[in-house]
Formats: sequence, C-alpha cells, structure tokens
Amino acid sequence: MKHVTDSLTDYLDGLLNQEESAAIASHLKECSTCKQALAQLKELFGAFEQEDVLAPSKRVREHFLEALKSEQTTKVATTLENNINVLPKKSGVRILLKIAAGIALLFGAFMLGRNQNERQANQSLATQEYKMLEMQQTAMISLMGNQSPSKRIQGVNLITKFKNPDEEIINALVNRLFLDKNMNVRLTAVEALSMFAKSETVKLAFIKALATEKDPSIQIAIIQNLVRIQAQNAAEPMKYLLEQEDTQPFVKEEINRVLGEII
Amino acid sequence: MKELTNEELMATVSVGNLDMLKVLFERHHKHVFNFLYKMCGDKMLSEDLTQEVFYKLMKYRTSYNHGNFTSWMFTIARNSLKTHFRQHKENHEDISSVTYALTLVQDDIESDYSTLQKALATLSASDRELIVLHRFHGIRYQEIAAIINSTPGAVKTKMSRAMQKLKSVYLKAI
Repeated sequence: MKHVTDSLTDYLDGLLNQEESAAIASHLKECSTCKQALAQLKELFGAFEQEDVLAPSKRVREHFLEALKSEQTTKVATTLENNINVLPKKSGVRILLKIAAGIALLFGAFMLGRNQNERQANQSLATQEYKMLEMQQTAMISLMGNQSPSKRIQGVNLITKFKNPDEEIINALVNRLFLDKNMNVRLTAVEALSMFAKSETVKLAFIKALATEKDPSIQIAIIQNLVRIQAQNAAEPMKYLLEQEDTQPFVKEEINRVLGEII
Repeated sequence: MKELTNEELMATVSVGNLDMLKVLFERHHKHVFNFLYKMCGDKMLSEDLTQEVFYKLMKYRTSYNHGNFTSWMFTIARNSLKTHFRQHKENHEDISSVTYALTLVQDDIESDYSTLQKALATLSASDRELIVLHRFHGIRYQEIAAIINSTPGAVKTKMSRAMQKLKSVYLKAI
C-alpha cells in the first residue's frame, strides 16, 4: 500500500468512514514515514488548539453600540433609499423595494395629507375657541347689564376666562365699579380689575373711584390695590378722603398706614 | 426559550429589528477580530476593521440574502481587509504585489506572536485565510468556497497544500 500522508488530515479530523479509517490505521502500523507524518500533523493541530483567542478592547463594543444607536434614530426613509442603491441591479428585490418605496411614498403622502387635515382642524378649533371667547365676552357684558345683582356678579366673575381682555371688557368692569348700585357688584369689579391693575385705564379708574366711592370696604380694597401697584398720584385722593368727615375711621387709619408706603 | 440561530437573528435585523444585531455582535465580534488579527497581525487595525464589519452588517442589512450568516460575515471581513490593504498600497506606491502581506511588528515578534502565528505569516494571504477560516473558525470547505468565490474541491486541494507548507515551516521553527 502506498503512503497515506494526503489523507492524514481527514483521518485526524474524523472525516473518513470506518473502512477508510481502518485502512489508514493498519498502514500506520507498518509505515514509519507515515507514522512520523502523523505525529508532526498532531503537533501542528495541537498548536492550533493552544492558540489563544484574543479579545478586542472595549472601544469596539462602545463604538458599535454608538453606531447602532445613531442608525436607529435615522429616518426610515433615508435607509430605504440607501438600501435600494446598495442592491445589485436587475435584482427582483430591487424592483420589489422600488414598489415598496412607491407605497411608502403614497403612505407618506397620505400621512402628510392627514397631518394637514389635522392642522386645519386645529386651526378651525382655534377659530372656534376665539368665537367662544367672543361669545363669552358678549355674555359677560350682557350679564353685567342684568337687573339681578347676582347675575351681574356672575358676569363680572367671567373675567377669569380672559387672559388678555380687550378695552371693551375693562371699560365694562370700570362702569360696574362706578355705576353699579349694588355694593357687592362693585366690590367684585374691584377684585376683577385688580388682576389688570398695571393697565393705565384701571389705575386711573381706581384713583377716580376713590373720590366717588362711599362704601368703606370698597374704599379699602381700592386703597390696597393702589398701594400694591405703587400708584404715585394716588396720594392726593387718599389725603382728600382723610379730610372728609364721613370717611370711616378705620379707612382713615388704613390710609394713614399706607401713605408712607406710597411716598 | 430556544436560542435563535444566526440566520434567524439576521433575518429580523434585515427587516428593521436592529436590537438583534447586538446579539450577533456579542456572538461573533471576537471571531471577526481574531480572524482579522491572524490575517494582518495588527491589533488596532483589526479592531477598526471589526467595527467596520458590524457597521456594514447594519448598513447593508436589507441585502442579506438569508444564506449562511457566518459566511456572509467573513466575506465582509475579508473584503474590508482587502480594501484596506489596497488603499494602503496605493498610498505607499508599492506596486510589486497586489496581495497583502502580514504586517508583523518586528519588535514584538518574540513576545506577542506565537510560533504558529509566525509560521502562518510566511504563507501567502490566500493560503493563510483558508487555514485561518477552516482551522480557527471551523468554516467548512463548502462555505469557504462561497466566501472566496471558488469550488469546494478547489478549496480542499488548496487547503491541503497550504497545510503542508505550514507544517514544514512550523516544524522548522520549533
């Protein structure tokens, strides 16, 4: 039998069938050349097994995870586009992907349309909100003209619905403060106006009201508001109140207390 | 829960489940790194190229054809290395050879490289890659044929010649 050196690798790897293996084993017993070749091959295989498996440094994983994360946040549309370019031409998959891209485009357009509808809906919602405010303003003003004081108070209190009330509403409230016969309505008007005390109109109204208002609790509410906004020209009407005989003593006390704070 | 095969995992990655690529990375990045390191002998380069391989797996995920995953992965690794050396050669105007050589760092030979690795370094790149893929990574002839674009029969013949060369170099060295 001729030498079996060519088959020794398969023999060691166990790739031969029983018959072939047996033939080689019997040859090895008689042939020292092949026996030596086998020993050498075993040595080489041993070296393969002893070879260390190295681990790459941590940065490989870190960079990979970073790249993966940024890929995940990339827009779907762009990856789809790239992938079509990467694919070999004439591929059926390429055509399929083109169709898919078409569908995606269609879907995208649909979503865009939907989005626009939504925006329009939002716009009309905003318009409706605006109309609501308008209605509330009308309601407020009409309520304030109502015969029943409680309705008028209700109207005045509607002011909380407005973040930036227009001049008309402010004037309506000022009118309540000056003209309303019911003390409670006037007091509520002061409270409502105090939210907009920074406005020149309101400030002037407070100062003017101080001269005309006879109810002590409203006088005090106005005084406190004027002090809060540090209205310089409020001192004169306050001093005038001090001189009046019919001014309640506790109102005078209050004026004396706050006059220092103003000047 | 049954562990998913590489191919099943890659199939889910290809349809957009990128998280599954993490599993494949954990399973294979060491293999890719060691393959590259055996081929070029440069740890930093091997790390860079390992990253590149997984980056390409991610980028080209939809072109995965549902074939053997490791074959595909090593094909990418091999091409990345080839591209690197081709660019490297162009930059250095070295036209003497189109194959890439193992760039063992001379000072470190005694300490860092095993006798086997040094013996492997004397082989041509194409012989070396057959042995590394087959012996270290257990890739069968058929798959190697797919990776290097050859036939299983040709791979087997070439492999046995390469092993003969390696054996003689190795035995002289020890």
